[in-house]
Formats: sequence, structure tokens, C-alpha cells
Amino acid sequence: MTITNEPRLVGARVVRVEDPRFLTGKGRYIANHVLPGMRHARFVRSPFAHARITGIDLSGLPEGVAAFTGQDWAEYSIEGTSRYEGFQAAPMPILAVDKVRFVGEPVVMVVADDPYTAEDAAETVLVDYEPLPAVTSVEQALREDAPLIHEDWTSNLFVPRAYQSPGYESEKAAGPLSVQGRFINGRHSGVPLENRAVLAEVRDDEIVVRTATQIPHLVKTAIANAMKVPENTVRVISPDVGGGFGVKAQAYPEEVACALASRALGVPVKWLEDRREHFLASHHARDHVHDASLHFTEEGRITALTATVHTDMGAYSVFPWTATMDTGMAMGILPGPYKFTGYKVEGYPTCTNKVPFGAYRGVARPAACFTIERLVDWMARDRGIDRLEARRMNLVQPEDFPWNSAGGLVYDGGSLVESIDVMKEWIDYDGLVARQAEQRKQGRLVGLGMAIFTEQSAHATEEFSKRGVPIVFGYETATLRLDSTGHLTIAASIHSHGQGLETTLAQFAGEVLGLPLDRVKVVFGDTNQVAYGSGTFASRSAVLAGGAARLAAVDIRRKLEKIAAHLLEASEEDLIFTEEGVSVKGSPQSNVTMAELCRITYQRPDLLPEGVTPTLEASRTYDAPPGQGTFTNALHVGTVEVDPGTGQVTLDNYWVVEDCGVMINPLIVEGQIHGGVAQGIGTAMFEEMIYDEDGQLLTTTFMDYLLPTAKDVPYIGTKHLETPSPSTEGGLKGMGEGGAIAPGAVVAGAVEDALSELGRVWVSQIPLTPERVLRYIHEAKENG
Amino acid sequence: MIDVPAEGQVTVEFTVNGVHHSVETSPRMLLADLLRERLGLTGINLGCEHGYCGACTILVNGESVRSCLMLAASADGAEITTVEGLSRNGELNPLQQSFQEAHGLQCGFCTPGMLLTATELLEGTEGPLEEDQIREAISGNICRCTGYVFIVDAIRRASERRDA
Repeated sequence: MTITNEPRLVGARVVRVEDPRFLTGKGRYIANHVLPGMRHARFVRSPFAHARITGIDLSGLPEGVAAFTGQDWAEYSIEGTSRYEGFQAAPMPILAVDKVRFVGEPVVMVVADDPYTAEDAAETVLVDYEPLPAVTSVEQALREDAPLIHEDWTSNLFVPRAYQSPGYESEKAAGPLSVQGRFINGRHSGVPLENRAVLAEVRDDEIVVRTATQIPHLVKTAIANAMKVPENTVRVISPDVGGGFGVKAQAYPEEVACALASRALGVPVKWLEDRREHFLASHHARDHVHDASLHFTEEGRITALTATVHTDMGAYSVFPWTATMDTGMAMGILPGPYKFTGYKVEGYPTCTNKVPFGAYRGVARPAACFTIERLVDWMARDRGIDRLEARRMNLVQPEDFPWNSAGGLVYDGGSLVESIDVMKEWIDYDGLVARQAEQRKQGRLVGLGMAIFTEQSAHATEEFSKRGVPIVFGYETATLRLDSTGHLTIAASIHSHGQGLETTLAQFAGEVLGLPLDRVKVVFGDTNQVAYGSGTFASRSAVLAGGAARLAAVDIRRKLEKIAAHLLEASEEDLIFTEEGVSVKGSPQSNVTMAELCRITYQRPDLLPEGVTPTLEASRTYDAPPGQGTFTNALHVGTVEVDPGTGQVTLDNYWVVEDCGVMINPLIVEGQIHGGVAQGIGTAMFEEMIYDEDGQLLTTTFMDYLLPTAKDVPYIGTKHLETPSPSTEGGLKGMGEGGAIAPGAVVAGAVEDALSELGRVWVSQIPLTPERVLRYIHEAKENG
Repeated sequence: MIDVPAEGQVTVEFTVNGVHHSVETSPRMLLADLLRERLGLTGINLGCEHGYCGACTILVNGESVRSCLMLAASADGAEITTVEGLSRNGELNPLQQSFQEAHGLQCGFCTPGMLLTATELLEGTEGPLEEDQIREAISGNICRCTGYVFIVDAIRRASERRDA
């Protein structure tokens, strides 16, 4: 429906309503929750990547400290089983039983009166292990003679996947030229600043688990399944969460362990993860190796792509995504925003003795973008075409939408070609390229890189049904209540942990009722307070929860129209909703305030028109039909300078032209882009979980695992295009993840460009740490 | 409530956000834990507990300090400011207002430490600040959400506001 209220809230650059509590130190993070009689947990974790547990000695525990082992809870587990045929499943234990499969796996849980004592007590626990050979790479895992991580499996492969587009062979033949390479994205993760945190309380017949999660209802389901109890006995509360980025979008054994310990001990049990544990046990991500070839004509027209995707999924399949998520996503989106139709791909999600692999902002798209964009750069260099022009000529063109991609997705629209024109003019691309070429001749290693992509966002029923996941993340829910004082509460099944959804949902739904922001409250995170839904991930919350909230607001508006028309003796079509209330078009003196209208609806049922019931509540689910996702697009360009002596890369400029459809709040959109780009810069230059050959994680502090600082991230310029989604409520598209997708490809392209005066080099591995850059400098000089 | 049973409790006297406190505590108690658990100053967020991320930054005698690395006992006699001490009578101070206006925060976890680092910077300088100065000053505070762009804008805005 069209809403024409003034002032419009959608599109307004309003400041966030949630800010004051964070600015005054009143964030409601789990660590700040205190319950009477609360005790504190600490986990004893495996020091071995792969070993049998041969004995556990708890005799040294101080008096009054409780302890639990895998044997105590052997009947409980978290299952992340795919529906794909042939998927090799393994339950993730709450505490390891008999065998450990990664360094950091929880083995014993101790519970003491305070966290200091719990930490001391954990030190007294002695566990005997019989080490087994560790499987620490995909290559090793897939060898015939590799040790089996799960002994009842036939190999260390979760499930192989393959796809070939119709006409692949002929399209490949039509492109007689090719470039190819092995593209490596290092293992890293979202690393939110707040570690995981749980506070479980079992009281009467209710298991209340407060946990820092992005997916409260799904965690509730996982806990109910694990503990074999009805869902209505479990309540999950996720209040303020200090960053998620996907790390907090899985159910974790520690969440179940705290609930089990609380049930056993009869007191609330709190666990605050420390940073070392976060590296050792919070799910990792991104670890992709792609072998790929791009086939093209003499003119530089791409005809086909051939690829193999390897992902190192760690020791267990995670709930709810399963171990197939990253491989499947990469296989679908590897062809990127390009128009070719020949595509053949194989995928191998592989089990290793590492931390399980979960979601991280962008899920597989950063790796897919890296591979296709590096290949396109190499093709352009091979053909002597400008890199932006090579992209323009191969993109899906405006008249092609909706486009059935080579990867089997339907791109529903966008502004790919336009984004190139806008970028070129904005940054004076031609002048910049010419100046850099001049500077390189004078010996400076400066370069420019670029990446263009289309991102599937807000994918719902149709898409997740294809993916074989146990739960189809099809929809989100919003329940709206306009109370008797004229204030609106939106209870949404998503979670907001930095995305500003307390503001944007209020803007998007409040506008329907003409309500100013200070009369709208958004609540989320408590499964007893909000109806079922999946949570916040996959750039979907504004689209799906926003859509649900807006539809429910329309339901309420329709009812208010009937009541107001009756009271004002006017026709429903003639009513105007504004901040002051409801008035009649053409006769403003005929009006009723929203507060009065609501008071009457609740408290004077005798005044309501016939057939209209009291109260103002509506609940809607929304799955953004047709549910295959709506596609955003963006072009990123960056410039670097490389220090030839140290290999240090300095990122000087970064520009983004993006199109996420209709924007609810441009200020928040820009904040999301900046944050995504900064994380992508981490992907490109700094962040890597490094394991040694025994499966020991060597990067367990912020001194070994570097996050981008304010000195590493440049000013990030943004320009918006707004192509409304043809399918979603209000024309919205999802945009939370996009910023993180391109920087790896941008920085790699820029470094390669910077080294071009030294010689030809193929930059195909990130992060570009100084050591790796020095190797590329050496290679460039060798190649000349 | 952390109540550490240990030999030899010590008494720590200090002023926090203008209020004098005398607290008996264990010698091994960290200042961050004491302020959070005993004084209820939960605006101090702990992100790494090894002094790197800066989320727990507070001002001790006007200088920024990682409260996760300092023992409570060593704060005896100190004048401490936490994020709870920045706003007056429920009103955001100009720096806090600038953060809201410029969208200088997202999840909010780094925000208290960022505000106190910025407070130290603003108190030690005059006039509108340059981008480089601001980036240098906050380079020890990790923000995982914002990419720093709007944090820099917020602090510059506050520096312009103080001279207006």
C-alpha cells in the first residue's frame, strides 16, 4: 500500500533512539545481569587437537566447587544436520565425551561462588589424554589414509556438492582464452568486542537462558532439543549484545551447559567467555581455497567459469547453518554480477581438527568476490583492457533484469553499470589512474584496486529450502500494539546489536500511523515477549521484520480508520494521519488526537462502530515473496601505497557506490557500510587464525590476531543509488553485510597494481600481511 | 557480586565520579571488577582483559587507564572518572551528544572507553581537532562496528562545539 503521510520518516537521516543508554554506560549486556545466588562457571578446554580422554581427576577441586564432565551429559548434544543426501553428521557434544576434536573444545565445567575461584578451581582439574594424529588442513583431511575425526564416517568430508549450468561445455569452448589460479582467504572471524556470555537460571518449570545471541528463538529451539524438553519450558533472553557479526548466530554447547548446570545445582549459573576462549572456541569462518579458471574471448567477453571450492569447516557441523553453508553460498554467487552462462563448480566442505566454522558477515561472498574479481582483473590485464571497462562490458546490463544467473540465482534488479559511471566521475578515475602510473615510474609503489558485486539479501523460504538446512529461515515476525495512550510497541523476532533497528523499524512502521519516533518503542530478544522468528543475520532484518511490522501497522491503521471515520462522521478515504492525530481532509477542525482515539478504542467500546472490536494489536509474518532474495549491488575502489622495504600496505582512499534499494535511514546505512568495509580491511590485510601442524592455534590474543585500528582504516566515502526492490515491502533491500564483501579483492588488486612496475605478479592470497607482500615483491622482481 | 575470599583484605579509598568511597577488597581484585561489581559501574566493558582493546578505559587522575590491567589496590587515593560521570542530571554532555548526532556508535560496547579517551584528548587540546590527531588518539581503542569514520566525525564535532 502507499502511505503518503507527512512528515515522511522513511528516508530521514534521524539519529538513533537507542544511543543514550549506550552513551551513559547503561548498556544491558549479559555481564551486567546479576541474579541472587548466582554462581560462576569456567570451562577446562582441550589442549590437544585430537586425542582420547583416558581419565579425569577432580580430586583437587576446592571445597564447594561443583564440576561436570562429558559423561554427566553424554545424552545431550547440539545437532547441525543437513538434509542433503549423504551428509555425514556428528552431534556436537556439550562437553567432550571420550574424545576431543579441537584445541579449545570444552571438557570439564567447574562452577564456583565467584569467577576468580572458578578460574583457580579449573586449574586443579587433571585430564589425561592419549593424543591422536591431528588433521589440520583440507588437503590432509581428504587423503585416503587420513585419520578419521569422526570414526563412524567413511571420510572427513561432510558432503560433496556439484553443479553444472546447462550449456557449460559449449560456453567454455566459446571462450578459447583463460586465466586461472588458486585463491586463498585466511581463516578468521567476526571477533565482536563483547565475548560470548551466558546466564542461565532454572526456576520452577522454566529454563531461562540469558545469552548474547543474534538468534534467540533458534537458540531456544536448540536448547529445548538438546535438553529434550518442550519449547514452552525454555525462555531465551538476549538483551544488548556487544557485536555479533555472525559469531553469535550459532547455538553453542556453553549455552546448554549453563542451563544443565543451573538445573543440577538449583542456582543461576553465569559464564563470561574470556578473549583467549573466544579465539579457541567461538566459531571461526572464511577459510576458503578456490581453484578457478575464467574462460573468455579475444575481445575480453567472459563465457564461462570453472571452479572448485574447498572450505575448512572444523570439527563439527554447527546449528542452525550446518557445515554446508559457506560452500553452498560460494557455489551460488561465484559468477558474481556477470552475464556469462557457462558454469561448472564442485564444493568440498571438509572436517578438520579445528574450531567449528560458522557465520561471519558476508558468508562466503568475500571469498567468492575475491576469486571472480581477481580473475576479471587478470583477464583485463591479459587483454589490455581497462579494469573498469572489462567489468562494464561483462556485467548484467540494465535491460537484462530479472537475470537468471549462471549460479542459479535470480538477480531482481540493480544499478551495476550506472555505479561504474557514478564512480568514474566522482573520483576522477581516469585522472587518478594516470597520476598513479606517473608516480610508479618515479619509483613509488602506488596502486588502485576495485571490486563490483551483487549481494543476495533477505533471502527467505525459497532460498533456504534449497540449501538443505534443518530449519528454513523463511520469515520474521512482528507484533504491534498501539496502546491506550497512543504509543506503539513493536515486538520483533529479529535482534538489534548495533544495526540501529530500534530506530529503523520505528521509522518504517511508525510512519504508517503518523507517529513520531518518541512514541514508538521496539522490543526484541526475549522469546517470551516476541513471536517466533529466526533472528538477525543475512542482511534481512530491515526487509523481513520491517515488512512484517509495516504490514501489521497497516492492519492497525485500517481499524483506526474505521473508528475515526465513525467518530468524525467522515469517510475513511478522507482521513489524514499526522503527528497531531487523525483529521479530515479539507476540514482540519474535524480531528481527534491519536491518544484520544486509542483511549476510546480501549476504554469506550460503547463508542465503537458496529462490528469493530476493542484493542489495537496486529501480528504479521513476512517472507518477502518470492523468497529467493533481493539483490543489492556495490562498487568499491581503493588506493594503496606499498612500502618496498617492509611490505607494509597503507590504504590511502576507499570509495563505495552502493545501491541497497530504498533507504529507511541513510545515516545508518552509511554506518553499516563503514563498519563492513573496516572488517573487510581486516580480511584483506590483518586477520588470520594460524594453526601449527599439531592443530595448536597460535593466534589467541589481540597481539597475534590484529584488528584494524583507527590508523589502518581510511576515511570511507559513500555514494548511494536507490533502485527499489521490485518485490519487497517498501522497496527495501538488505545491506548489513555488503561492506565486508569487497575489500579483500580491492586491496589485492591495488597491491598487484602497485607492484606492476616491478614485474608481473598474481596476488591471490589474503590477508596481505607484510610478509606476504614482501614475497609478492620478490616474485614481481623475479618475473620482471 | 564478586566477593573474593583471600588472605589479607586491603582497604582502598578513592573518589569515583566525585563521590568518595572506602572499599575493603582482596589484593588481587582488578580495578575494573571492583568498580563494576562492587560499585555497580557497569559502563566499564571488558573486551579482552589484556589491555589491548580499550573498552575498559577510564580516567585515573585525568589520564586514560586500562582498568582491566590495574589492581584495585593500586588505585588508593585516586580520582577516577567513568562513563557514568560524564552526563550531568541525565543530560548528555556535548561529547556524548556529538556521538549521537554523528552516529559514532553502533553496538555500544567500545563506546564508554572511546568517550573517555576522547575526553582526555579534548581536555589536553584547544581548538578544532584535525583528523590525524583524532585517529592517533583513539588508535588504542578498538571499535569493531563503525569503521571509525563517524567516531572521528563525532570527536571533531565535539572539538568544534567546545570553541563555539
